[in-house]
Amino acid sequence: MDRVFKKIPNISIIFLCIVIFLAAFLRFYQLDINPPAINWDEAALGYNAFSLGIDGRDEFGRFLPFDYLESFGDFKPPMYAYLTIIPVKIFGLNEYSTRFASAFFGTFTVLITFFLVKSLFPSRRDLAYITTAILAISPWHIMLSRAAFEANVATFFIIVGVWLFLKAVQEKPAFLLLSIMSFVASAYTFNSARIVAPLLLVCLSIGFRKKLISQKKYLFSSIVLGAILVLPIAFFLISPQASLRFKEVNIFSDIEILKLSNQEMSNSGNKMWAKVIHNRRIVYAREYTKHYFDNLNPSFLFDKGDGNPRFSTQDVGQMYKWDIPFFVVGILFLIRRKEKNWWIVPIWMAIGIIPAAFARETPHALRIEGSLPTFQIITAYGVSEFLIWIESAKGLFKKIKKPVLVLIAAVLIINSLYFLHGLFVHYPREQSAEWLYGYEESINYINSVENNYDKIYFDDFLGRPYIYMLFYKKYNPQKFRELANVTRDSFGFVHVKKIGKYNFQDALPTETISDQKVLYINEIKSIPDSARIKKIFYLKNKQPVMAAYTL
Amino acid sequence: MNNKVTKYLLIGIILIASFLRLSLLGDVPISPDWDEVALGYDAYSIMQTGRDEFGNFLPVVLRSFDDYKPALYAYLAIPSVKIFGLNAFATRLPSAIFGILTVLATYFLVKELFKRRDLALLSSFMLAISPWHIQFSRIAFETNVGLAFNIFVALFFIKGLKRPWLLSLSTVCAALSIYVYQSEKVFTPLLMLVLSVIYFKDLLKASRTHLIAALAIGIIAIIPMVVYVTTNSGALLRAQATLAFSDKTTFLKENITRLEYDRETGNSLGKIFDNRRILYIKTGISGYISHFDLNWLFLTGDINRHHAPGMGLLYIWELPVILFGIYSLLFYRKREIYEKKSVILIFAWFLIAPIPAAFTSGVPHAVRTINFLPTYQIFSAFGLLSLITYLKKYKLIIGSIKVRDLMYVAIIAIMMFNSLYYLDKYFIQQNYFYAYDWQYGYEKAIPEVTNIKDQYKRIVVTDKQPLDKSYMFFLYYLKYSPVEFQKIGKLSSGGFGKDHMFDKYQFRLINWDEDKNTRDILFVGVPSEFPKNIKSKKTIYYPDGSPAILIVDPEDN
Repeated sequence: MDRVFKKIPNISIIFLCIVIFLAAFLRFYQLDINPPAINWDEAALGYNAFSLGIDGRDEFGRFLPFDYLESFGDFKPPMYAYLTIIPVKIFGLNEYSTRFASAFFGTFTVLITFFLVKSLFPSRRDLAYITTAILAISPWHIMLSRAAFEANVATFFIIVGVWLFLKAVQEKPAFLLLSIMSFVASAYTFNSARIVAPLLLVCLSIGFRKKLISQKKYLFSSIVLGAILVLPIAFFLISPQASLRFKEVNIFSDIEILKLSNQEMSNSGNKMWAKVIHNRRIVYAREYTKHYFDNLNPSFLFDKGDGNPRFSTQDVGQMYKWDIPFFVVGILFLIRRKEKNWWIVPIWMAIGIIPAAFARETPHALRIEGSLPTFQIITAYGVSEFLIWIESAKGLFKKIKKPVLVLIAAVLIINSLYFLHGLFVHYPREQSAEWLYGYEESINYINSVENNYDKIYFDDFLGRPYIYMLFYKKYNPQKFRELANVTRDSFGFVHVKKIGKYNFQDALPTETISDQKVLYINEIKSIPDSARIKKIFYLKNKQPVMAAYTL
Repeated sequence: MNNKVTKYLLIGIILIASFLRLSLLGDVPISPDWDEVALGYDAYSIMQTGRDEFGNFLPVVLRSFDDYKPALYAYLAIPSVKIFGLNAFATRLPSAIFGILTVLATYFLVKELFKRRDLALLSSFMLAISPWHIQFSRIAFETNVGLAFNIFVALFFIKGLKRPWLLSLSTVCAALSIYVYQSEKVFTPLLMLVLSVIYFKDLLKASRTHLIAALAIGIIAIIPMVVYVTTNSGALLRAQATLAFSDKTTFLKENITRLEYDRETGNSLGKIFDNRRILYIKTGISGYISHFDLNWLFLTGDINRHHAPGMGLLYIWELPVILFGIYSLLFYRKREIYEKKSVILIFAWFLIAPIPAAFTSGVPHAVRTINFLPTYQIFSAFGLLSLITYLKKYKLIIGSIKVRDLMYVAIIAIMMFNSLYYLDKYFIQQNYFYAYDWQYGYEKAIPEVTNIKDQYKRIVVTDKQPLDKSYMFFLYYLKYSPVEFQKIGKLSSGGFGKDHMFDKYQFRLINWDEDKNTRDILFVGVPSEFPKNIKSKKTIYYPDGSPAILIVDPEDN
């Protein structure tokens, strides 16, 4: 590949431009309609951005929240909402503007990856180009760049952080300050980054300890800067609210593990050695390892992808099957060659998976996105090694060199077209239920007829209808705070039962309450027989999902 | 390492292997499962009458539960059934013996390939203590014997390059392998192919007569199987049924909707991509790579009969060592000691092992891919030895203690701990937690039934999970006369999913609402088939105290 670059002047820049353009296209094309609808987390981020853009307060009225957005009681890191203020101002509150930040930073991630890999492996020119191209067409990164996922922006900040760190220790120490800022920014963006960023920073610092110590001035000021910037969330992170959320999802709160460990001890006669081998810490360690390994499952990585259809089209893995041989070769040769900063790649990947393995739902493409682009770097390394080998091949391989290269390129093109065909043709139709398709249409319907009714009842069977109401009606936040009936349960979850004439509740009444005119919106299965259906709302695959009716 | 030490160490390893495979063989796992009893009873039937349960004379393939088991295992079990009677120990013994032979053969194979005694000893030791290998050496699963034959094939082949008459032995073993287990019909030819390609030049040097003799013997040996497969349409049914796409309607359902949508929208790209042939390719790759799941290998295994509770197929400490072994095998080849071909053979073996399972459903599958052994053990052994070489250079001393020695101690401690953990899980926890999976209960229930059998006109035994194929368990534990049963078996239309009858026994699902009003009939069933507070003549319990089998007389209730 090097040779090609030498032959045509400026081709490297042209190549890079094409790749970035392709990355942008794959991330922005049909962004508003694919994924086919917004999920409630996206709606919440969008609406909070809308609200912040109006009076600097979040939906519930906290002024300039730096530590968290309460949202549904899941205490979202606030960065994404802040980044979305400007797109919402420009494009209005809609799917496109809500997702804009993710797609935008996703595209920039592809560009930054180019510079990252250049700093990581300065002696291998081709590697940066190959990695960038692989990331640009990566199913993993495309899927996560096409919805308002905070993780995708956090990944951008982490990559920038690592890149600037390398710049600092290899070129200009002043970059260290910027690097720290970027790492801190990631912690303000996504929960997993709060573990990944510090661990990564510690490992990088250990790896470059000599360089850092020689730059005492910058080291010291970076530490001070980092500490100051982290302070606002530090208080939140040690609060009971933060630990409540963690307890809910972590694997160690499972009582069955204790029971199992005790039963095993008694089976082994409660002997000394039995107490050691059946110790619950060992059971926990095994459990953790299991969840960790889940994220490295080849079926997840290369075949089916994340089981959650929001993160994967379900028929292409997080990476292409094409990647498999290069990924394997890449790992082996990365270790074999031991080029300058090679160790950062495996350590980064390992750290990126640590936080996700504490949770029950593994593998989890979103929570381990912080390990990107290490997977792509490894694949690229394999490709690069392969190109080096085939360049110098002798005998039979020299003769079939061209056909082999053409074949490999063809398989890659077919593989990625297969993914894109699935994503743009079938995905919206097949997975519209996963994206809560139907809310938008039902709320548009309400808008058109609400003047005829005194009250509107909305069943919350799909979850959190209130945020959709706010989102699609671009509801005035001040009015919302004034009119809404907001309650918080003992788990810290927020419930909005009522906004003015809109009611949201679990089971809707099946008989008329009074002489008021009431419109009901309910899931298709729970509509009472006595209902007079006004309108049915369909999923993209033509299945009915909900209906508006009166009694 | 001199000859004598090697010999003693090898004997030691074989003793360990034998101990781990033979002790409590009839009792752990707690009960033979349906396939084991079927093989045992067919051995018993062939031993007494020369015919299987369906009356086929000296069968090449056992129809059994319409899964058409290759028959060799049943023949191998005849001597032990003759000596020890028809019981779990006798049924499982051939597998255990072949397991021990595999450990021995692995030593010679590795020695032949890598010219290092330490590596050969360590590899065979790793196999001796391997959870994967122990699991299938202690049950009457044909796959374990198939593995043994495959290792013999490679061993005799490599040795045969110097002493060509051994090549015939190699082809005979290859042929036998095909008579043992379904997967070998795919794996063994691939192995032969790999061997022939890698050692092509060496083969050409061998004498023509020996080569032709080996080929001829091999071909003659597989003729009966070829004849059977081509003349019996049923023989391939089982293989087809296990294919991932055997159930076309569910397999292709989503695909068809997609294709229709592509047609509607005139998407020509879609017509290519949503073609079912693409789906077949995807399924194959998907099945293949599913066998490289670290959880499956090191922590969980697949279904419960294929691993000890809480264990995978390999020890977790092996993970770093295996990776290190693979890495060192690839990159630190000492030219003067072993040939490049040996490395290529091990990796080729490793890569073809998952192929037989790739297109089947229920992947990853520890039984269909047991031919991964002994490559993992060789990687492990190689990794450990490379690690020791690496540590030898490590001369750091803290105080008066060499750090290197501390590391040795730590490695050995971790290995011992993990082995203890495994042995506890296998020998103590398995019977407690997995009794259900092993279809436990018949051995206790059947004598109870026979005790009171005379009071009843008929005895109805359920066929419901986990008591499926109950008729075979009754034949097995009653040692029912094969001559008698063949009279029925001949007429029987098939083994799978059909109700069976012999003597006073009838095997079918119990429908309590109807059956509760019957008289003079005894019912043997699982708790879920009866009302909650039913009075039973006798209840058989699992080791964890939950009821397994109820023997119920409706008149008591």
